[in-house]
Amino acid sequence: MNKMIKLAAVAAATASVALGAGTANAATASATATAEILQQVAVTKTADLSFGSLVPSTSASASVTVAANAAGTRNCGGLTCSGTPASAAFTVTGASGLAVTVSGLSGLTALTGPGANMPISLSGSTLDMSSGSDTLYVGGNLTVGANQAAGSYTGNFTVQVDYQ
Amino acid sequence: MTSIRSSRLRGLAAGALLSVAALTATTASHANDLLVAPTRVVLDGNRGTEVILNNIGTEEADYRISLELRRMLPDGSLAEVETPNAAEQAALDMIRYAPRRVTLPPNQPQAIRIGARVPPELADGEYRVHMLFRAVPRPTPVTAETDDSAEGFSIRLIPIYGVTIPIIVRNGDLQVTAAISNPRIVRQDGRESLSFTLSRNGDRSTYGEIVVTKPGVDIPVVRARGIAAYAEIGERTVTLPVSEEYQGSLAGPVRIQYRAPESEGGGLIAELSATLQ
Repeated sequence: MNKMIKLAAVAAATASVALGAGTANAATASATATAEILQQVAVTKTADLSFGSLVPSTSASASVTVAANAAGTRNCGGLTCSGTPASAAFTVTGASGLAVTVSGLSGLTALTGPGANMPISLSGSTLDMSSGSDTLYVGGNLTVGANQAAGSYTGNFTVQVDYQ
Repeated sequence: MTSIRSSRLRGLAAGALLSVAALTATTASHANDLLVAPTRVVLDGNRGTEVILNNIGTEEADYRISLELRRMLPDGSLAEVETPNAAEQAALDMIRYAPRRVTLPPNQPQAIRIGARVPPELADGEYRVHMLFRAVPRPTPVTAETDDSAEGFSIRLIPIYGVTIPIIVRNGDLQVTAAISNPRIVRQDGRESLSFTLSRNGDRSTYGEIVVTKPGVDIPVVRARGIAAYAEIGERTVTLPVSEEYQGSLAGPVRIQYRAPESEGGGLIAELSATLQ
């Protein structure tokens, strides 16, 4: 239902554009109404990447990994973990099933905060658009230093769905 | 839907209070979602066109539209370009578009006008940029969830997500031929997939649909639209998963066809009949 509304919105926008071009030729007696159906893509975020709750080790730095799959499977390495991890999820819907690739995830290399930077690397799942829609999962590997200083750490990461 | 989401948020807030070192989950509001149509633009000389950007989220969002450069790698992925070459710089210089920033309420479409100003002395060839549409996240208000606690730390990973579509300008009478070779069965992400080499010869890109059929089977066992081989590479690998109902049955004789899209006549670009092991 929601998708139908989106399609209608695009179709309506396109139709009005085409009609606008037609009315420029106001002298002719007959007018042609055209509506072009455009191949569209929609990207919606359905979940955020979360490592759950972590307690830094007092002796050594350690890495926690969240897999780029639906389960967001977590490997705590040498850390004490609790809470619910999650991979980030983006629903990519292309009405025409055109193939896409994903770029941009390698741009984020560290989280910044009050303590030392925490190295991070992100990875994404492969999108199969042949059925018209698929979910892109983004996981990551985060290294938490020994006695990592408390506070708020942030990082912006980019996800781009590239059409060929 | 809304009530489910808000009750989940309350659960998260309660969890954060209890845990010693809470890594905060950001709110799952549908801000910054977007729809773009069409997903590929080929400009014909100096005639312009329009691309529709629609805010399909539930909140007002600020979108930015920019031009990027990509180069196709042998595996078919598109790599970002740090130092543009002469042709890429010429492509950046000739594309005109507006607006470049737009704030849209939910379900508000906006047309982005695109045109090319082709300099008269421009060498024949295909020029390409990738137009990036993305929302710029707004600063989120500080809540109890993001407060620093003396004992723990929180992590916020903010995604900036968007879509790139190719904008292609062709100058002069350009030719291209393509061929398919080296078909083989591979496993990708645990699924049986077909991989082959798509080679290209000429001064422009190829673009179209891959259809793989088996004798006696009406439905294609592999089908993928929107497969390009860009002018900067002579050959690339294409790897496509076999459809769910034909998993495990790819071996044997197949016919691989590469066809132009319907909008460009649907003609056959390249074809290969082979027997897969």
